[in-house]
Amino acid sequence: MLSRWVVGFAFFLHTCHFYQRAKIFFYNLLENQNYKYKKSFDIFMMGLIFLSVYILVRSVKHEIPHGWLIFNNFVISMIFLIEYLLRFWLHGNSSKVIIEQYESDLFFHRPFSFSSALRTIFLQKIEYVFSPTAIIDLLAIMPFFHEFRLLRIFILFRVLKIFRYAKSLQRLMSILATKKFEIFTLIVFTLIMIMVSSVSIYVMEAHNPASKINTLFDAVYWSVVTIFTVGYGDFVPVTHGGRIVAMMIIVSGIAVISFATSIVVSAFTEKLDEIKEEKMIDRVNTLKRMYLVCGFSPLAHEVIRKLHKHHVPIVVLEKDINKVQQARNDGLLALHYDSASLHTYSHLKFDFEHQIEAVILLHESDVSNIYTALTIRELTKRIALYSVLQHPENRKKLFLAGINHIVNTYELVGMMSKIIARQPVAFEVIHALRSEETSTIIDEIILDSQMKDRFYALLDEPLFYQRFSVLGIYSTQSKFFHFNPHPDSSIESGDVAIVLANRGLIEEFRAKLHRKGKS
Amino acid sequence: MKPRCAAIFGYNEYSKQIVKQISSTYDNVGVFVIDEAEFLEAKNAGINAGRFDLSDDWQSFETQFDVEGLIVFCALADDAENVFLTISLRATFDNLFIIALAQDNESMMKMKSAGADKVMPILQIAANVIHDILSKPIMTQVLHDVLYEDSLLNIMEIEVKDTSPLNGQYLHDLHFKRDFDLILLAIVDQEMGTTFSFASKGHNHHIDAGDILVFMGYADKLNVIKQWNSGVRV
Repeated sequence: MLSRWVVGFAFFLHTCHFYQRAKIFFYNLLENQNYKYKKSFDIFMMGLIFLSVYILVRSVKHEIPHGWLIFNNFVISMIFLIEYLLRFWLHGNSSKVIIEQYESDLFFHRPFSFSSALRTIFLQKIEYVFSPTAIIDLLAIMPFFHEFRLLRIFILFRVLKIFRYAKSLQRLMSILATKKFEIFTLIVFTLIMIMVSSVSIYVMEAHNPASKINTLFDAVYWSVVTIFTVGYGDFVPVTHGGRIVAMMIIVSGIAVISFATSIVVSAFTEKLDEIKEEKMIDRVNTLKRMYLVCGFSPLAHEVIRKLHKHHVPIVVLEKDINKVQQARNDGLLALHYDSASLHTYSHLKFDFEHQIEAVILLHESDVSNIYTALTIRELTKRIALYSVLQHPENRKKLFLAGINHIVNTYELVGMMSKIIARQPVAFEVIHALRSEETSTIIDEIILDSQMKDRFYALLDEPLFYQRFSVLGIYSTQSKFFHFNPHPDSSIESGDVAIVLANRGLIEEFRAKLHRKGKS
Repeated sequence: MKPRCAAIFGYNEYSKQIVKQISSTYDNVGVFVIDEAEFLEAKNAGINAGRFDLSDDWQSFETQFDVEGLIVFCALADDAENVFLTISLRATFDNLFIIALAQDNESMMKMKSAGADKVMPILQIAANVIHDILSKPIMTQVLHDVLYEDSLLNIMEIEVKDTSPLNGQYLHDLHFKRDFDLILLAIVDQEMGTTFSFASKGHNHHIDAGDILVFMGYADKLNVIKQWNSGVRV
């Protein structure tokens, strides 16, 4: 009966929308580094920790207002307790364990083993309870029991709890964790040295009335202070034997320090690139909009140089580390990832719909561009894909791969050759206008139907007359370009005026059009 | 009337596209290659191909083409060789119209110094187009149609003749938009060298014989101004 009720309840939880949403929300808040509110939550928790530590440290020698103590002992501790319980709840998936056990037993025609499910759940939860971070969390709640004054020493664990929220500290620990074996060896070596030196100095000094080292604890204390090259001088060996031991310990101490330093330095050196990459990914994830350039070819370099004028961040994905380095030397946000791999995007967690303006495929091979396009199309159909085409015969393949806009340099050069051969000056003019190397440019102005009268009236103002050319108006509805429009021509919402003028004058025209539009 | 001829140096993807685009406009299009394999490939493709080397022996070249009015495309794959070819041609033929392909801006400067009349920097051209498609898609489409497709809208450059009614006029006294339904994009002033200025800068330019005006407009209107410029009453 109980088993049936438990299974029913597990199914209910598993399908309960509200329960699952709540679980995802708390998981994101507590564990997901890419969740938008995670950083705020971490800062809030660190603020509580610092406040709590300040109150307790100040209370050692000063009178603290009662309200502050209540806040510290109950409110902060209660928040920590709730956090601990939430983490306990989130660790593992109990309803899933029960359902899996039930379905497995059902499949093999066995009676549902509630005890097996319970054991699995218990092991999952116990794994959390005995994890180092959970132990610190639990001990950090201890100052809550204010009446046990001794437990106030557990305030130290609140400081240690900062490790949970400060990413750089987590990174430091993860780096040191890669040198577990070396650190373990160092600890064993140091402990043996302390033991040997403590016993030696005790044997040499303890019997001498002039020596201050009288107990084994004094000997251990002296050894630690000497090995780590601090040497307070409150305990000094007075016998010849003791001084010989001291000399040997001092030399060995330098070895210990050097060994420890080398472990930390080598760990950091090995992980330096990884740290830089992680920091860069963090930076990319904070971008609200960006262009994603796949492949860092010479053409990509040139395209990026031009796109920089728009002040939209550009992120480069490139699998050749030398090219990545080259891009970084140019001050670009370049990530060492294969743009054609789904794993890349699951790791980088791009929000294609909102974060990326367009994806520009600039690999030097059509194969790579098609493969990347297909990968991105698996993730989203909406994003605009632009690609360079290396071989004209692959044009259809690029379209089939979902690329929206294709640029073929060979065709471009061919078409331009025709113009340049027939009208070299006209070619120069168009090239100069497009490259925006002069102050005069061709630009687009998006219009609405309300702007019609103002648009034509502005053209007659002395500031714009003879200096501002409207090449035409492109109707987005009829897809027709009305060249040299008459002042009576209609303008529909969304129509685009193609204008030729000085860059500053175009901005002024736009501003006036907008300003008058508001009035 | 002399036949219009074009010579293209190099046989690669670029020169194949150049041949494809200009064949209909020129009476004689020849491709010159250094490599035997490229020569055979061009021949097999039905192209009028010839061999050359980077020495100063242009005898076979001169026998095939009348260099007066000839247009040359230097489209070798290697920029250094292309610069050398350009400078060799310029050293031998003063009046040859040379168009050179350059991979980037750096090579473009060298091509110009070597004597090329016009240089097409491939990377910059492609980058400009990609940038324009991203930032000004409609403008790019309109310009593409005007320049490269069989559109009724065209651009045209006309040189002001001595007998032209344009000769001696001030720019602000002319109303090309109203009277001809044309938009003047730019003017090359012979007195100021080969640099051009855009009509929209607002200078009241004095038009002289030899100036080149670049217009955009419908083909029939462009023909009207072309005829008017040559002294025909319209």
